[in-house]
Amino acid sequence: MRIVAEHLSYTYNAATLFATTALKDVSLTVEEGEFFGIIGHTGSGKSTFVQHLNGLIRVPSSMKRYKKKKSKKNPPLPQTVLQVGEFDLTDKKTNFRELRRHVGLVFQYPEYQLFAESVKEDVAFGFKNFAEKKPTDGEVAEAVRAALEVVGLDYNEVAGKSPFELSGGQKRRVAIAGVIVTRPEVLVLDEPAAGLDPVGKREIMELLHKLHREWCKTVVIVSHDMDEISENCTRAAVFAEGSVKYVLPPRELFRKRDELRALGLDIPLTARLLEKLEQAGVSVDCDFTAEDFIAKISALRGDRA
Amino acid sequence: MKDVSFGQYYPVTSFIHRMDPRLKILFLIAFITAIFLATSFYGLAICAGVLIIAILLSRVPIGKVFRAIRGILFIVVFTSVLNVFFYRGETVYWSWKFLSVTREGLIFSAFLVCRLVLLVTCSSMLTYTTSPVELTDGIESLLTPLKWVRFPVHELALIMSIALRFIPILMDETERIKNAQKARGANFESGGPVKRIRAIVPVLIPLLLSALRRAEELGDAMDARCYSGGRKRTKFKKLRFSWRDVIGFLAGAGVVTGVVLLRVYGVGTL
Repeated sequence: MRIVAEHLSYTYNAATLFATTALKDVSLTVEEGEFFGIIGHTGSGKSTFVQHLNGLIRVPSSMKRYKKKKSKKNPPLPQTVLQVGEFDLTDKKTNFRELRRHVGLVFQYPEYQLFAESVKEDVAFGFKNFAEKKPTDGEVAEAVRAALEVVGLDYNEVAGKSPFELSGGQKRRVAIAGVIVTRPEVLVLDEPAAGLDPVGKREIMELLHKLHREWCKTVVIVSHDMDEISENCTRAAVFAEGSVKYVLPPRELFRKRDELRALGLDIPLTARLLEKLEQAGVSVDCDFTAEDFIAKISALRGDRA
Repeated sequence: MKDVSFGQYYPVTSFIHRMDPRLKILFLIAFITAIFLATSFYGLAICAGVLIIAILLSRVPIGKVFRAIRGILFIVVFTSVLNVFFYRGETVYWSWKFLSVTREGLIFSAFLVCRLVLLVTCSSMLTYTTSPVELTDGIESLLTPLKWVRFPVHELALIMSIALRFIPILMDETERIKNAQKARGANFESGGPVKRIRAIVPVLIPLLLSALRRAEELGDAMDARCYSGGRKRTKFKKLRFSWRDVIGFLAGAGVVTGVVLLRVYGVGTL
């Protein structure tokens, strides 16, 4: 499913003293099959944007009212478009439940939404909710088993346990299993690796690649860890103050060191090292992944030796 | 939570907003006393006059003030209807069995409506113009005398301000958990009462856990900074009376005296 957003704006507490604009005229397309990254500071609108993708935040109908009012002072706003596959999210009549089955959204710290008595029940929650007719116990067990196994947990070991007995990393895996159990085509994750140690982070990213290969065609991650983006994403969008500044593959994006720094954003470690090398007069062309960086550097050293 | 503006506080700066919260609380108490002491429309008119001046000075939009009244509309209508029909008076306009409409009844219920409206308007003016933090500071300071009888005033104020501080955080959290469960297909809007109550469980349990976790973290953080409350603490914002408060005090005293005088001399007593 392709995600298309055009001229998308959103204001919290619209028309009150507390009004804050979260999105300003955002236009963005995510192709099917991408591993897409969204980068931005806190308050840049990235979370608001991803919550639009499965209809938790709706496109306000006031957008449509604006269009009718044609005067010289208020030129008609360009039409807002928000589409995920065939779902038109600007239309109130869209079946948002069906949409949510196809677009899985994993919130930040998803382990905090676990609630059931056992891991099995918790993972089954979404599966049962989205099932068209009541699934049999066998079907539920099978779906839960598959979901737990794909996130790297042993069904026989954890299914009967309380989710609160597990370790932090395991809890997060269970929570992710609880979202992917319905086999969504698009998987959106808000800071999936936040709060984990480096090993845990790498494991989660490996898990996401596995899911991308085997379960969900399109993966969108929100992150402020630039290394995560440069290592994993096919393309990344940079959000700042509610609008999209760049949409580029990491290889091109992280050449814009100064522009990113001006937005208060970091650059990956590899980009920082390349900068130092450049200052020392060595120019290396690299796609900013650690692997490529190491390969290029060793090649360089090999040449000199 | 981002879509819900919490509480009543209307954040602008005005004469009333900048008054000392202690004085505002005392003024409110005096004002309510005056409303109850008033025995005539003249007395209520004094109260209403001062209140209108206060509303104008506070820069709170009139619509907001009316919204406070709308909240008690039902009670107002209910009590006035009861009074109209059941009040016994001499000049009878209409009667049927035990119900009757009298001149006295009409006047009395009008009086009651005015009283209720004034009560609600003046109390909501306090919350419109005083932030929750100022309010707890004011209450703590006003309750200080109770320390003499070993009443834990500071702890009470601390509990109040922590509770107030946590309401928006927990509302935020509720919203987040609700959204997370909605993303997993939870349905909070449809179904019978039993189904709806059951639907809350996936929100309630994580919320409770997170509240406990936050409470523990806050306790640890306070311990880590050697918080022990009470005595030797200084305040970041010291409450000070200013010329505004003198005016407020005079207005409050004026209202009470006026109402008491009217009552004593029986001017226009119903």
